Amino acid sequence: MKNFFAVILIVFVIGCAKPYIKPPEKPHPAKAEEAKPAEVKKEDAAGEKISLTPAEVKKEEVAVEEVLSKKEKEAAMQVKEESAYRDALFDFDSYDIRTDAREIIDNVASRLKKNKSINILIEGHCDDRGTNEYNLALGEKRANAVKDYLISAGTPSNRINTISYGEEKPVCTEQDEDCWQRNRRAHFAVTK
Amino acid sequence: MTKKFTVHSSQFTVFVFIFSLFTVHCSLSTVSHAKVYIDITSPAMRKLPVSFSFTGETEAAEITEIAKNDLDSTGIFHPLESNIPGAEITVSINVNVSGEAVTAEVSVFDLIENNEVHRKKYEAAKNILRILAHSISNDIFKAITGQEGIFRTKLTYIVDVSGKKELHLMDWDGYNSHKIVAKGLTFSHSWSRDGVYIIYSSERDKEWSIYLMNLKNYRETMLFSSNGLNLAGNSSPDGDIAFSSSKDGSPEIYVMNADGTGSKKLTKSIGIDVSPVFSPDGSQIAFVSDRGGSPQIYIMHADGTGIRRLTFEGNYNTSPAWAPDGKQIAYVGRKNSNNQIFVVKLDTSEIRQLTDKGNNESPAFSPDGMFIAFDSDREKPKGIYVMRVNGEGLKKISPKGVKAISPKWSPFLR
Repeated sequence: MKNFFAVILIVFVIGCAKPYIKPPEKPHPAKAEEAKPAEVKKEDAAGEKISLTPAEVKKEEVAVEEVLSKKEKEAAMQVKEESAYRDALFDFDSYDIRTDAREIIDNVASRLKKNKSINILIEGHCDDRGTNEYNLALGEKRANAVKDYLISAGTPSNRINTISYGEEKPVCTEQDEDCWQRNRRAHFAVTK
Repeated sequence: MTKKFTVHSSQFTVFVFIFSLFTVHCSLSTVSHAKVYIDITSPAMRKLPVSFSFTGETEAAEITEIAKNDLDSTGIFHPLESNIPGAEITVSINVNVSGEAVTAEVSVFDLIENNEVHRKKYEAAKNILRILAHSISNDIFKAITGQEGIFRTKLTYIVDVSGKKELHLMDWDGYNSHKIVAKGLTFSHSWSRDGVYIIYSSERDKEWSIYLMNLKNYRETMLFSSNGLNLAGNSSPDGDIAFSSSKDGSPEIYVMNADGTGSKKLTKSIGIDVSPVFSPDGSQIAFVSDRGGSPQIYIMHADGTGIRRLTFEGNYNTSPAWAPDGKQIAYVGRKNSNNQIFVVKLDTSEIRQLTDKGNNESPAFSPDGMFIAFDSDREKPKGIYVMRVNGEGLKKISPKGVKAISPKWSPFLR
């Protein structure tokens, strides 16, 4: 029961605290333009004080900070781990693992061996010159090719997931070989 | 000359769509006719001069304009103002408005034989004036050509919203466009043969699953989900659904029942098998495979036997779409580093290239086989275009400034 209330409180706290951290920028666009910014802010603050004492406000801010910092820490850890993984690149309309990609995937395999608490999601991507649907299939084959390589390098298959995004999530949009090459990739995302 | 009308809000359009299924009442019978004025299958066809006149309320001008645009886009009529001589057929539209109800009386008259070939009274609510007008176009078209018109058909298409892919629906002329699926990355959509359901694939929480949407109530049902990539193809006349799945490792072609049960694997290759489409009669399936070293169009019997390669020119041919008569397939072929729309005849393997400007992808035939819709980047952003099957009469139909791709044409709708 205590936990239940705690959850309710957190939900309440997060829900209510939002305006204090970042007030809604333009509640009434037309009115806000006419009124001076200072006046708008004062009205907002006055409106909120009716329901909360300053002590409560303080409590909310602390709670929100705690929630945020925990999430931020987790995200930062994932980003740090992921930054150690480079994308494995592919040739046009190909899902063969290139020589330069082997070293990259070997590195992923050895990091996964050391850090048993994380799993990996391999995203297969393509450049935008092919057709969308075929590229989804091509991205799938690229992700699977990398997965097979990882398994052969000793990574248990239950620690690897794959997804294809085809050409739908490009890292760049220029129409030149440099950008196309950067998009023809298997990207590694760390999962828990 | 296209008039601008108010674009309805999404919810309102949904209402209008459902409402429209029931509210265009037609009364009085069509005058019987046997004569076909234009043989639209004849290659040496000349344009038939038709004059349009209207009387009555302001809505009469709107209705006439819509009907005129519909008929003009077919390329088989030469629309004339009523005061210009030379017409062989006259279309007269008289409109009365009472409150929210619009009544239109339409007469089609053959000046050469001095004979009324069509007369009909239409009633509809004011807010579905365009549907009323398209119904009139269909009847005029039928009276003159003997063929069913596509003027009340719709297209689904994909809108690219900053990396998200939404499924939208619009009238064949691009009006009444609205969103129908906003969740996830949505792709590989197709219409059921009765025009009531849309089958599509969507990526949500890092899983590609196949879904079904009922357009009558906009309710979504998940049909098929598994590990890997699941991309919907289209459905057969019996309701079976073809799809591509990599659940066993590599993308292969499968069929399943209309409710998503009883999936059966049809192909087995180490490479990619994707984009399966049932032929109009359901006896064959066209698909894309790289089993020969590059993506090419293949055809097989609906049970997976008798696989044969259909395209040999070029090293990148994808996105097959059957013509409604089942005699040719439109597809995307890569030529001089650009993607273009081609059509291949099944009996002779003869190829025709239909586009040559920019990149052109995702061909889809209109249900009468007269038009092909596709997406093109000839102008930025990418948009949906419609042309006649000979490549003429090109026009952009998707909303301005919207990145729109992958059109799929509905069957005939009433």
